[in-house]
Amino acid sequence: MMTDQTHDFRVSAEAAQVRIEELAPVARFSLRVRETGRAALGAALGLELPGKVGRCVQAEGRTALCLGPDEWLVCAPEAARDELRAAAAGVYGDAPHSFAEISDREITFEITGPAAQELLSIACPRDLDRLAPGQAIRTVFDTAQVVLWRDGAEAFRLDVWRSFAPHVRALLDTGRAEIAAGL
Amino acid sequence: MSRYRIEGRGRVDHAEPVRFSFDGREFQGLRGDTVASALLAHGVHLMGRSFKYHRPRGPVTADSAEPNALIGTSRGAGRFEPNTRATVQELREGLACESQNRLGSLAFDLGAVNDALHPVFSAGFYYKTFMWPRSFWDKLYEPVIRRAAGLGKPPVEVDPDIYASRYLHTDLLVVGAGPAGIAAALEAARAGARVTLVDENPEMGGSLLSEPGLGIDGQAAWDWLDGALAELARLGVRLMNRTTAIGYYHQNMVGLCEKLTDHLDELPPNAPRERMWRVRATRVVLAQGALEKPLVFHGNDRPGVMLAGSAQTYLHRYGVRVGDRAVIVTSHDSAYFAAFDLVQAGTKVVAIVDTRPAPREDLRAEARVRGIELLAGHTVTGTRGRLRIASVTVNEVKGGRVGDPRMIHCDCLLMSGGWTPSLHLFSHTKGSLSWDAESQTFLPGHLTEDCHIAGAGRGLWGYSAALADGAMAGAEAAAALGREAEAATLAVTQDRAGTGETHKELPTDRKSSRVRAFIDFQNDVTAKDIRLAVREGMRSIEHVKRYTTNGMATDQGKMSNINGLMIAADAVGKPPPQVGLTTFRPPYTPTTFGAFAGYHRGAQFEVTRRTPIDAWAEQHGAVFEPVSLWRRAWYFPQAGEDMEAAVARECLATRGSVGIFDASTLGKIEVAGPDAVEFMNRMYTNPWTKLAPGRCRYGVLLGEDGYIRDDGVIGRLSDDLFHVTTTTGGAARVLNMMEDYLQTEWPDLDVWLTSTTEQWATVALNGPKAREVLAGLVEGVDISAEAMPHMSVAECTVAGLPARLFRLSFTGELGFEINVPARHGLALWEALMEAGKPHDICAYGTETMHVLRAEKGFIIIGQDTDGTVAPEDAGLGWAIGRKKPDFVGKRSLARPDLVAKGRRQLVGLMTEDGAVKLEEGAQIVLDPEQPLPMKMVGHVTSSYHSATLGRSIAMALIDGGTERLGETVHVPMPEGVVRARITSTAFYDPEGHRLKL
Repeated sequence: MMTDQTHDFRVSAEAAQVRIEELAPVARFSLRVRETGRAALGAALGLELPGKVGRCVQAEGRTALCLGPDEWLVCAPEAARDELRAAAAGVYGDAPHSFAEISDREITFEITGPAAQELLSIACPRDLDRLAPGQAIRTVFDTAQVVLWRDGAEAFRLDVWRSFAPHVRALLDTGRAEIAAGL
Repeated sequence: MSRYRIEGRGRVDHAEPVRFSFDGREFQGLRGDTVASALLAHGVHLMGRSFKYHRPRGPVTADSAEPNALIGTSRGAGRFEPNTRATVQELREGLACESQNRLGSLAFDLGAVNDALHPVFSAGFYYKTFMWPRSFWDKLYEPVIRRAAGLGKPPVEVDPDIYASRYLHTDLLVVGAGPAGIAAALEAARAGARVTLVDENPEMGGSLLSEPGLGIDGQAAWDWLDGALAELARLGVRLMNRTTAIGYYHQNMVGLCEKLTDHLDELPPNAPRERMWRVRATRVVLAQGALEKPLVFHGNDRPGVMLAGSAQTYLHRYGVRVGDRAVIVTSHDSAYFAAFDLVQAGTKVVAIVDTRPAPREDLRAEARVRGIELLAGHTVTGTRGRLRIASVTVNEVKGGRVGDPRMIHCDCLLMSGGWTPSLHLFSHTKGSLSWDAESQTFLPGHLTEDCHIAGAGRGLWGYSAALADGAMAGAEAAAALGREAEAATLAVTQDRAGTGETHKELPTDRKSSRVRAFIDFQNDVTAKDIRLAVREGMRSIEHVKRYTTNGMATDQGKMSNINGLMIAADAVGKPPPQVGLTTFRPPYTPTTFGAFAGYHRGAQFEVTRRTPIDAWAEQHGAVFEPVSLWRRAWYFPQAGEDMEAAVARECLATRGSVGIFDASTLGKIEVAGPDAVEFMNRMYTNPWTKLAPGRCRYGVLLGEDGYIRDDGVIGRLSDDLFHVTTTTGGAARVLNMMEDYLQTEWPDLDVWLTSTTEQWATVALNGPKAREVLAGLVEGVDISAEAMPHMSVAECTVAGLPARLFRLSFTGELGFEINVPARHGLALWEALMEAGKPHDICAYGTETMHVLRAEKGFIIIGQDTDGTVAPEDAGLGWAIGRKKPDFVGKRSLARPDLVAKGRRQLVGLMTEDGAVKLEEGAQIVLDPEQPLPMKMVGHVTSSYHSATLGRSIAMALIDGGTERLGETVHVPMPEGVVRARITSTAFYDPEGHRLKL
């Protein structure tokens, strides 16, 4: 029917500009450790923990993002969860730290497409031109604290605290419809 | 063809007619017209009535500063807007407009009776007239004034439009796309900077759009403009038209409001009407140009009296002659050029009245060539005509004396009092202004932000100067951005530079009491009002402004402030800078509430946090209540139940068998590290060293002042790991407070904090059958009373899910709190509901939780405490680790006022009649017979009907409460005084047997 075709066309036109997808959960830990223990934790987790805020390091499916002078976000496939926890615990005596699991604290949205950066600019006050692919930052989206990852020129991920996720998603959907309207 | 339209002229599209209506009458304009230009093309000048006197008014400008031509516009339900400026609103097909502020028709306005009564409505008349009798204010004066005052009708329907928001970062933001702004943007963009150029008009070009005769760089002005804009687009400059820079905030944050659909014939689906841009610019160039000043003379507000520069704009941008027979009155050279252009377009210019005795010789000659009579050293002393000017009275001024009047017939009077730089955005930055005595105007002075002011905005006049200055500003901005730029020089031909003089009121031969010379057209303020204000003691321009309302209308005095200042300065007898200019504030032009609200409306008005179990609660008919940003299930009414019945049932079911409660919103903080126990000892009042792993304790958190800030049960999972819970509303605050101490006071401690509030979903099971429900689901730990006593914690598996299981109670019953990873919260809940079926498990909400805890005398932070309650006051002295060397708030607990007798303390209250429930917040007195005002000794903090006890219970903070146990107090209420007895707060099972099951 004509109406269906029109509808499909509009949805696909929106999708062509920007897609929003909720990703499956991964194992996520908040690592806090002093500079003196950074190397030991990195060795245990199989990653060199980056020393500059906003920088990510990846190895064997694991990612470490530096969020603060003594803070890293460590992500890995769910299957690696217990192994990571044990590895961190193994060096606790020499390198005291906190390795708190936050896998369920956040929901991740993937935002991709030519209009992805514009869509994020509806509620993220950071200068996204200066966020290079491969970097990530802790910032806000509207009033929600988020971790924003840039995976490519047109590819971002947004980690949002679980209970804020519906609000963020609703804003993203509103923004996507607005971008599709072309004004 | 409309009578005043010139075929082929202007930037409007003569091939595309657009139909619209004004006060029900159908008109036809052209694509590119504003409402004002389209009406003027039909010879309609009368567009509204004034605010106070209901005087007939027409447009005085062709731009956003318009004070007079304010109309109502609409496009269907909810889309009515009052006070739209007809000079700004673009025509769209079918646009329906109406005039405002009239009682009856626009041509015959009953409200015009106010005009005849004008001596009554002098400055400050509200303050003088409506003082007495005092009682009349509420019932008579205020309602009548409210109805009579104001402009336009407020919209009453919900606005169906969408309003959008964006953040933008740019190296250089240029405000104003006139010659200076374009030149600046070109320089910076050529140097490679990220540049954004904004202009409030539909088209970029600014004054160039009104000066087609100019030559720039060997091209006609409009050709140069096309080329420049094309080059900017090529260089990647973000060009934003219909976008007003409304405010200039700290550190180069500039707010822009972009209008997207008001000019469109049809509304595209999902298109926002306006978009608010929050721009962070490394550098800013303000190229806002200058505003032409009206002259102040009797009858200067009659329709047909207009600024000369605006007449020039109507001619060149819209191809509209504003009249057939014009008189010019000016104190500035610029109006001569408007006159010459009008002559060329076929309007008869009868005379140029120049207030200056010796105008420029070349201009005199040009006027003579065109047959225009030049009346140098003349003044205007009046105008005539009912709804449109029909004649103007001019007089020669010689040696300070005003000569005989002479009447000249005309259908428009074009005035120019010179130009004043548009200082609004600069003023927002709190940059200082400097008074330029030579040009008698304020100019931008000291800069407080990283900005540049270019062109007419800093008092430069003429296109050559504006282009050169803009290019210089652009080059300077580029240099400040670390880029190389050299300001290009553009040759300008046919430039129209000039100078002028600044006036107070024009000299007149009229009796001063008979002069109606308007300064603020929108607020109907006359020169006489300003002088009256000064006579009555106002000395500062800020006082004059408030007394007369000069400059307080929505145009913020764009037309009136300088004229008002010149007259006030004259009346005070001081130079203008000593009287001062009032402060401009954002927004630059009226801005919709929608643009400010953006996406924050409806369901997105504010974040609503929902727990993983929220969907179940919704399915099962829960009534919700907001708790901080969360929505929590309040109670679960069954068919026919009201709140009281539902809560009573939930309470009885929990105490009788088992109840289940979603406690996921509780704040949770993981405190980890070798110094975790030391940190806990320092933060909380309680001692933690001896708390064994696997055990928990109720913790109390104080502020430095010794008052209770938060509480919660804290479990020790291992030597170095604590699972801290906080109140729902306190979660973020407590974490911040802890981080603050850790980072600023104890950076030496090896301990780290992580918010795990949302990592865990938490379900509380309470009631004598709680263990039976849970037992079959738990693996990995023995939950028998012996193996897992009250106040224990264990890591185990519940319903196959990894869990942190607490045995604790906030109800006084045998209780467990099960934490599982949040994604499994609903699965856990459903497994417990299933397992609880044989025991008639009952879901309860926050209200039942409140009742159950009150029956036990457990406090709620923020309800039974108010930031002035110390632990002893709340009966929590037992939770203080007195032997600890220190903890936050310890020293304050020894303060004389905190150890004094008679402090307000938390006690129980039982009304004599158990059927009577006290009002929370009700004040308490000892003697109800004492004279008013009575001495209050405290207030009720919590009050409920307890189904368990079959009567009401309450908690209260009462002076010396714990020493008054058993005494009777009185609670005066509107229906009478309620008697109540002071009791312990432990209303139910005071020995705590039920916890030990």
